[in-house]
Amino acid sequence: MADPLLVTAGLALGTFAIRLGGYLLGGALPATGPWARGLNALPGCLIAALLAVLLVQAGPAEWGAAALCAVVAVLTRSLPLTMLVGIGAVWLARTLI
Amino acid sequence: MPPVYDPDAARAEFRAGLRDITPLSLGVALYGLAFGLLAAQVGIKAPLTALMGLTVFAGSSQIVAVERLAAGAGMSVAILAGLALNLRLLLMTASLRDELAGRPLWQIMLGVHLTSDENWGLMHATRCRGGRAGYWYLVGGGTSLIAVWAGATMLGTGFAGLLPDLAAIGLDFAFTAAFILLLRNLWRGPGDLAPWALSAGTTLSVAVLLPVEPSWALIVGGLAGAALAAGRGAAHG
Repeated sequence: MADPLLVTAGLALGTFAIRLGGYLLGGALPATGPWARGLNALPGCLIAALLAVLLVQAGPAEWGAAALCAVVAVLTRSLPLTMLVGIGAVWLARTLI
Repeated sequence: MPPVYDPDAARAEFRAGLRDITPLSLGVALYGLAFGLLAAQVGIKAPLTALMGLTVFAGSSQIVAVERLAAGAGMSVAILAGLALNLRLLLMTASLRDELAGRPLWQIMLGVHLTSDENWGLMHATRCRGGRAGYWYLVGGGTSLIAVWAGATMLGTGFAGLLPDLAAIGLDFAFTAAFILLLRNLWRGPGDLAPWALSAGTTLSVAVLLPVEPSWALIVGGLAGAALAAGRGAAHG
């Protein structure tokens, strides 16, 4: 079992190093060009991949709820609403199936 | 801006940042409660959740790391997956050169630590509307966010003990839902589609074909997608 304290320490030190590193590198980091595009695209790519992993391991109840969440997210861009709809839909689907 | 130090102006900007961030802090509070529930599932106690919120202060990376732990991943790959998500902060703090120039070290360290998507974005949005928003505006917003984030995540972890079974009431799905919204907010246009699809496709292929933890597949997939985005833009000028 992973030690949560060590995970916290690793994340904290690494994240602070990234934040301070950005400041120290400053002008050396390109604001445009391939590297900037790649770094900007990375979060979306990681979240898309994570969703793919989560949904492949899930079943019809989660797929239906995820589709509903996607519609709510696109229409409202509201985090609370998307989460509530998702939780409600998956609960309902699991109860019925 | 920084050379002449005017404490009244700094305080006014700090308060404006604190005030303007409020709607965003409310969203962070809900996200934090849900993160607290997830943290409790992998056996993290409330004080450690608060410590994590204060020292890491990067919600999505904390969620990804803990979600990976919950999925049975090892420690190093969970940390790496979280940090990969934070690499974008490099560009954000790099863009703060003017705000941080000439400031004492403690202010630089405070400023970069309190930089997050929400207050960094708000600072630029306020400037675009012609408002005064510099270092202390960013720090004001960050102060509200870090307090709400640490408090809400701690509350969520404590609250989790009172709930019978998270899966039975659908709460285990909270993060999938949150990630769907996060992805929607990261969407900048049709150009994102190919990198995202490549990332998801690569991740699933690697996870199925190679005997590795899915979290490593995630990192490989994410890098593949980012590389496509980097190269494609060049081709289009």
